[in-house]
Amino acid sequence: MDSAYLKSKRILLVDDEQELLNLVVSILQDDGYQNITTAKNVREALLLAKEIQPELAVLDVMLPDGNGFELYERLKQNGDYPVLFLTARGEEEDKFRGFGLGADDYVVKPFLSKELLFRITAILRRTYKEEKPLARLKNSVIDFSRGEVRKDGEHIPLTAKEHDLLSALYRSAGRIVTIDSLCEAAWGDNPYGYENSLMAHIRRIREKIETNPSQPVSLVTVKGLGYKLILEDEKRKTLRNED
Amino acid sequence: MRSVPKLIRRFVGLLLLSFILLVVVNIVIIAIIASGQMENARPWSTAEQVAAALSQTENGYLLPAEAAAELSAAGAWAILIDNDTKTVVWHSDDLPDSVPMHYTLSDIASLTRGYIDGYPTFTSGTKTGLLVLGYPKNSFWKHLWPSWDYQFIAHAPQIALVVLTVNVFVILLIYLIANAKVLRSVKPITNGIQALPSGEPVYIKETGLLSEVASHINSTSEVLQMQKRELKKRETARANWIAGVSHDIRTPLSMVMGYADQLQTAPDLSEKQRHKAGMILKQSQRIRDLINDLNLASKLEYNMQPISMKPENAVAIVRQAAVNFINTDIDGKYPIEWLTEETISACMVNADSSLLTRAVSNLIQNCIHHNESGCTIYVSVAQEQKNCVICVEDNGIGATDAQIEKLNTTPHYMVCDENTAPQRHGLGLLIVKQIAASHHGEVMIGHSSYGGFLAEITLPMFI
Repeated sequence: MDSAYLKSKRILLVDDEQELLNLVVSILQDDGYQNITTAKNVREALLLAKEIQPELAVLDVMLPDGNGFELYERLKQNGDYPVLFLTARGEEEDKFRGFGLGADDYVVKPFLSKELLFRITAILRRTYKEEKPLARLKNSVIDFSRGEVRKDGEHIPLTAKEHDLLSALYRSAGRIVTIDSLCEAAWGDNPYGYENSLMAHIRRIREKIETNPSQPVSLVTVKGLGYKLILEDEKRKTLRNED
Repeated sequence: MRSVPKLIRRFVGLLLLSFILLVVVNIVIIAIIASGQMENARPWSTAEQVAAALSQTENGYLLPAEAAAELSAAGAWAILIDNDTKTVVWHSDDLPDSVPMHYTLSDIASLTRGYIDGYPTFTSGTKTGLLVLGYPKNSFWKHLWPSWDYQFIAHAPQIALVVLTVNVFVILLIYLIANAKVLRSVKPITNGIQALPSGEPVYIKETGLLSEVASHINSTSEVLQMQKRELKKRETARANWIAGVSHDIRTPLSMVMGYADQLQTAPDLSEKQRHKAGMILKQSQRIRDLINDLNLASKLEYNMQPISMKPENAVAIVRQAAVNFINTDIDGKYPIEWLTEETISACMVNADSSLLTRAVSNLIQNCIHHNESGCTIYVSVAQEQKNCVICVEDNGIGATDAQIEKLNTTPHYMVCDENTAPQRHGLGLLIVKQIAASHHGEVMIGHSSYGGFLAEITLPMFI
């Protein structure tokens, strides 16, 4: 999952604390982001947003001349780009308000640099997808845009449910996704009682992506908890780290 | 409000009982008096006896000495009126002078029903005439027109019953009307007293018979409301203070953590310096977790944490909490074993999913905190009777019996109000207990069969 193409995206940071702006700028710059603009209040943020047309905005909620939620609504009138709230207001109701407005993420201060970076990258990746997202597995490649698996030169189509399940697993590649989350991804809000159907779908997915479905290497079971999709490049990265 | 109808029923019951008792007592008294009036029939029988005893001899009529003695003992006199001549053919010795010696038929009809010159008279027929006994004046009262409507006498029992019923009804009516006013004033008073313990404000109109009582209840309610407002104000101020402080710490702590994180990986610093930066970051994270916990604990304690309960699958919540830890445990120092039986795919509880996730995460975090060198954590969800039991345990260093006793019984400094000496610190378990309590559940802490620490959250199942 190469994210180099995201580093040139225009990011607008809004916070009334200059020190915090400096910190976030340095975190982003260290990770390779080049187009970062900062504003210290609502007025400045609106002017700059018109000028630079940001592709992502990171907003504080408490600003000297207004609040971030109002700023969010005014920014959204002039352009449709993702917004992440970065604020000291950690109450559930604030989070719900932020997400309720349509924010893409909500990070409460204090935060870990890596966490902020991961979240920003994830939002950008979701919003500005590469043309053909490909998941490279040990024995096959999943082409989500075409809805098919390529294995041994063969093109095997995925059903809608298989596509939903693989997308959910791919979003958290390398991590366990619980049985319940997978059922929810495939069957919606009332996912109880689909465990057996899930197992049947997983078996069919394995037949498509694995060389030996009875000894899976890319879609592994974590007993009682869920499943994990292991990407070939993730695996390589892990191996490198271990070296 | 069940006490007022009960009160009315009791009063009416008492009244009816009194009425029945009164009727019974009356009947008994009447019976006693009536039996005393049996004497009234005596003059008639005496007349008959005298008539029978009077015998006709050659020298005229003769009354035996016994009968004559009985007459004089009663102070009575007697005459015998001849059938044919209507004249007195015999009389007793002490006949008053005013008694006539000759009678017409109408005189006889009159004396049979009434009196001769004020003397009450009683008659009895003989073969030859009519025997008349005269008693002293004012010794008897005689009914001059002794006749009744036949239907009236024939239906006397029914009439008596109707009269009695009407009487009961009228008395009840009078009673109810008289008491309605009292009951009207009692009802708001009892309503008010019953509403007082609920803590809601009470106001009763201060009019009527019990206006003074109403006024006292109103002032009691005002005092209670004032105390409630004061308490709420104080609790809100405390929770807001903690929320404010934790908010203000967040931004400066962001900078400490951000720069420490950068220094930790800065290539131009020595290994030792990077390690120190790492320590600053780690401790800052602890401060962050602490202020988050402090804020949540104070809000839960003062009921200021919004809780949105809905039916949730505890298995899914606990599984997600466990997986969150597994996904972040990169070096595998704290493996988690999922011990929930495969047959249990859902255990429904009425819960706030984010709070329940927080409680389970705190328990897992607790295992990690206390076992720096690593341990295996065992997580399970079980169904026991009508409860859902979430169990988190480890095979780490565990705790002594005394420590476990302390965790189960000693109050935390957040909730301790009296003793200041033996309080517990650390907010993780307190929050778990608070969350369990807000879900009508409880927490049990003990030794794990794997050798370490065990914590169980028991929640009532949603049925």
